[in-house]
Amino acid sequence: MKNNMTVSGHSSRPAKASAAVRIFIAAAAVSMLAVLMPMKAWSQPPLYQKCLLCHGRPGFKKILPDGKVLELFVNKAELEHSIHAKLHCTDCHADVMEIPHMKVPGTVNCYRCHYKDNPNGAKPANEFFQSVHGKLDEQGDPKAPRCQNCHGGHNVQKVDSPLSTVSHLNVAYTCGKCHKPQYDNYVQSIHGTALLDRHIKSAPTCTTCHGKHLILKPDSPDSTIYPLNVINVCSKCHENKELIRKYNIPGGRISTYKESYHGIADEFGSVRVANCSSCHRAHLILPESDPRSSINKANLAKTCGKCHKDANVNFTKGKIHVNYKSKSNGILYYIGMFFEILTISTLTLLFIHILLDLFRRFKSGETKGKNKRGE
Amino acid sequence: MNHSVERLSRNQRIQHIILLVSMIMLSVTGLVLKFHSNPFSVWLIRIEGGIWVRGLIHRIFAIILILLSLYHILWVTFTDKGHSELMALTPRGKDFSDFFRKLAYNLGLSGRQPQFDKYDYLQKLQYWGVVAGTVVMVMTGMILWFVNQSMAILPKWAIDLTLLVHGWDGVMIFIVLFVFHLYNVHLNPEVFPMSRTWLDGSISLEQLQHEHTLEYNRLMSDKKNEK
Repeated sequence: MKNNMTVSGHSSRPAKASAAVRIFIAAAAVSMLAVLMPMKAWSQPPLYQKCLLCHGRPGFKKILPDGKVLELFVNKAELEHSIHAKLHCTDCHADVMEIPHMKVPGTVNCYRCHYKDNPNGAKPANEFFQSVHGKLDEQGDPKAPRCQNCHGGHNVQKVDSPLSTVSHLNVAYTCGKCHKPQYDNYVQSIHGTALLDRHIKSAPTCTTCHGKHLILKPDSPDSTIYPLNVINVCSKCHENKELIRKYNIPGGRISTYKESYHGIADEFGSVRVANCSSCHRAHLILPESDPRSSINKANLAKTCGKCHKDANVNFTKGKIHVNYKSKSNGILYYIGMFFEILTISTLTLLFIHILLDLFRRFKSGETKGKNKRGE
Repeated sequence: MNHSVERLSRNQRIQHIILLVSMIMLSVTGLVLKFHSNPFSVWLIRIEGGIWVRGLIHRIFAIILILLSLYHILWVTFTDKGHSELMALTPRGKDFSDFFRKLAYNLGLSGRQPQFDKYDYLQKLQYWGVVAGTVVMVMTGMILWFVNQSMAILPKWAIDLTLLVHGWDGVMIFIVLFVFHLYNVHLNPEVFPMSRTWLDGSISLEQLQHEHTLEYNRLMSDKKNEK
C-alpha cells in the first residue's frame, strides 16, 4: 500500500482514509476471531487435532502382515458433522492411552455409553443383544455386525438425518452390504421401487418388517416375520385405510385372507399354512400385473404348486382373495346369499313349528302322562 | 300283556348311535371353522388339540360316516327289515296333506289331528334330510379333502364354491338335527326330557296309539286275525 501511495503521489487524504479502513478491518477481524475462536476451540477438543495429525492425512494406512490394507484415514469433515462431533477420539477409542499409540486399538465398544438406563439411548443396545446379530457376535462370529457396521463409525448420524446410513432411505443399502440377494430382490420389488425410485416415504424398507435392533430369525416365534406374525407386519400398511386410499393399494387383502382356510389355520397356529409371503414372496414382492410377479397369472400355478403339488392353470380361474360378501364374485356371492336366507328361514320356520306344536300340546293338555286324548 | 312293542331293532339302534356320534363329532370339528372367530370355537379348537388334530378328527369321523352310509345302503337294499323300513320312509302324497292338516290343527282351525303311520311327515323329512345332507357333505368333503387332486381338475372358484356349500350345508344339518330332531323326538312335552326308544328300541303301546295311530291299528287287527 505504501508503494502505491508513493507511486500515486497523493498522500494526505487517502492516507487518512486508509488508516480508518485499517482500524475497521482490524476491529472486524478481532471481533470475528473473538466470536469464532472459542467456538472452534470448543467444538474441536485438543486431542481431536492431535489424532488428525496422522489420521487426517488422506491415504494414511497400514499394510497388515497378511497383506490386507487397513485404511486409517479419518475424514475430518465427516467427523465434524456426525452426531458425536463433540466427543473426544478417546471417548470411543478408549484403549488409546498415549499419542502416538503403539498398539492397534480394539474395536469400539458403543455400550460404554449406550448401556441400559442411560438416557442417551440404551434400549437399542439391549435389544441388539437378543437379536440374531447380537447372538452371532456373542458367539464370536467375525461376520456378525456390530453397532458401527450399520450406524457408521465416524460418520454416525441421527436416524432421521438424510446422511445416516440407517435412515429410512439408506438402511436397505446398509443391510444389503451383507444381505446382497435380499437387497437385490428388494430394490426390484414394489416396495423398493416405491421408496428408492419414487421416494414414497410410507413405503417399507428392511426395518419396517424385520424390526431394527431386535431382528430375529424367521423361525423364532418372537420374530416379526415368524410365519404366524407375518400377517401382523403386512397389516400395518395393508390394513391402513389412509395408506390404501392415498396410494391406491388393493384393499381387503388381510380380511379375505383371515376368512380363508389359510388364514384360519394361521390364526390357530399352523406354521405350515401359507401366509402373505408364501405367495407374494418376502423381498421380490410385485403387483399381479408384473410378469415377474409370483402372483402373475402365468406364475400362479407354480406359486400354488409350492404346497399344492398338482396345482395347474385352473388356479388362475377365480380369485384368490375371495370376499364372499362382494357381488364381484358372482356365483359365490349369490350361493352364499342363498344359503344365508335358506338357513335363517329354515331356522325361523322350525321355531314357529315348534312353538305351534308346544302351544297346541299345552292347550289340549297333551303333556307327559296326560296323553289320553289320542284319537 | 306286552305293553310295548319294538320300534327300532338292535341293528338300527347301533346305526343310529354311530350316526349321532359321527354327526356330533363332525359338527364340533367342522362348525368351529365356519365360526372361527367365535370365542366358543376358539375354545373348542384348543380342546380338540389344535387346528391340525381337529382336521384329523373330522376326517376320521367322515370315514366312519361314509362306512355307515355304505352299510346303510346295503341294508335298505338287501335286507327285508331294511327294505320295509325304506318303504315306510318313502314320501307319499299323504305326507303333504298331513302337513297341512297338522298345521290347521295346531293353529286351532281344525279339531282333528291327522293320523300317522310308522313314520310321520316330520320323521320322513328328517331321514331324507340326513340322506341328502350326507350325500352333499361327502361329495363336497371329498373335493376338499383331496384338494390337491381337485385343483388339477377344478377351477379355483369351484373349490371356493365347494367350501361355501360344505360350510353352509353343515350349518343346515346341524340346525335340522340339533334343533328340530332333538325337539321332535326328545324334548317335546310328551317325552321330555328324553325318549328312551333310541336306547331300548321300544315304544309303549299307548304312545304308539297316540303318535302312530295307523300302525297301531294295523298291529291290533293283525293280532285279532292271529287269534
